[in-house]
Amino acid sequence: MENVVDLKDVTKNLKGFSVNNMNLQVKQGFITGFIGENGAGKSTTIKMIMNLLKPDAGEVKLFGLDYTTHEKEIKERIGFVYDDNVFFEGLNLKDIKRIVGPAYKQWDDTLFYQYVEKFELPLNKAIKTFSKGMQMKASLAIALSHHAELIIMDEPTAGLDPIFKRELLDLLQELMIDGSRTIFFSTHITTDLDRIADYIAFIQNGQLVFNQSIHDIAENYALVKGGMELLDRDTEKAFIHIHPAPTGFVALTENIKAVKNIFGDAVVIERASLEEIMFYMKGRKSYV
Amino acid sequence: MFNLIRRDVILQKRMLLTYIPFILFFIFMDKHPALIFLVVSIFIPFNTYFYDEKAETNILLNSLPYTRKEIIASRYLGAIIYMGLSVVITSIALFVFNKPFTVTDLAIGSGLFLLFAAVTFPLFYIFKSRHISSVVMISFLILAAVGPHIVSFLAKHLTTITDFIARLSIPALYTGAAVIIVILYAASWGVTTVIYQRKAF
Repeated sequence: MENVVDLKDVTKNLKGFSVNNMNLQVKQGFITGFIGENGAGKSTTIKMIMNLLKPDAGEVKLFGLDYTTHEKEIKERIGFVYDDNVFFEGLNLKDIKRIVGPAYKQWDDTLFYQYVEKFELPLNKAIKTFSKGMQMKASLAIALSHHAELIIMDEPTAGLDPIFKRELLDLLQELMIDGSRTIFFSTHITTDLDRIADYIAFIQNGQLVFNQSIHDIAENYALVKGGMELLDRDTEKAFIHIHPAPTGFVALTENIKAVKNIFGDAVVIERASLEEIMFYMKGRKSYV
Repeated sequence: MFNLIRRDVILQKRMLLTYIPFILFFIFMDKHPALIFLVVSIFIPFNTYFYDEKAETNILLNSLPYTRKEIIASRYLGAIIYMGLSVVITSIALFVFNKPFTVTDLAIGSGLFLLFAAVTFPLFYIFKSRHISSVVMISFLILAAVGPHIVSFLAKHLTTITDFIARLSIPALYTGAAVIIVILYAASWGVTTVIYQRKAF
């Protein structure tokens, strides 16, 4: 399986914040969701993938190529959608297309107009008059019109109304049909991902906690509920974080088998949602 | 990269409509042709910076398949190209309104523009302030207003320099000035490229 994005031991120190020794691979042909709290380092990581920021140490490769020697080749193959509108806000979509289109060798005007029609975007109105959802659609139309192999999106669902959010997620799924495309997108709203992501990369305090398939996550992680009397220094080791309550404990485990072996039928094991995983990970004392 | 230069016109197309009256105003005010050439050249390249000092613009340009070297090169080459176009338009306007001008005026105007560009372009990348373009434009206007007086004041009092310049033959003077300006422009280009490559967005 080929990695479209490959970060090796990437470290970046910014003021009061850092990304440490990140090893992140994004697999070709899948949707990878990049989750983490606000300020966990998602945007910084995406900026390093886009070469807007250079890492202090480590290696960033896209399509197996290095930015120092293949910057243009790499960016030809990427479609980007950012949280904020990066297009000149006083211009209309037609003029933006005139500026952005010729930058790409593979720009496809017909395809662009197809998306404009599909998204019902006005061509002659200034971008600044667009709603947040329309700006997102406009960015997406531009990102999709040069046959990009990798679509990178930073918080694309933030600030979207629920209906458009659904439409967007459906569209992303539709894009994956041809099989060669890869989508990497960051979000702090994990419910977006349950439906469409194949892989989840989870970042916390500048460190990658895991990067696993949805399937593996469902198999490994679970919420365990049981009486407090079951917990002692040994059995606690089976959990990442334990949330004690007067009526019993709720804990997150990443090893369902071990929990079953230790506790048998004395505990209730439930599927953990991404949100719950994020929540319990935040409370953990240490993670090895 | 030509596309990056063309971008300036798309961005400023509405602004360009004010361009012609602007030239005419200077012509009817009977300003010195060299000054008109200078002011008119400054219009497009410096306007671009009003757009480019926004962080989002740099994120956009750097996410597109351009290298940072190319982005800076488009600034410096674009300035020359737009200067050329402005000079042509202004020459036609001056010709139409029957205002005499010499090639020397043209050379002085363009030379001063390139000098001004060489000095100020790097500033746009060194300072983060959103107001740097306003600062540069205001200092330009002040310079344009006060500059000639300073020069004539200096000419009166620093006689060694004026004597030295007066002793040079005209061709030597122009060639010398041209060479110095080209060197400064190239150096400025190099410096700006280095600064821009180190930037984070």
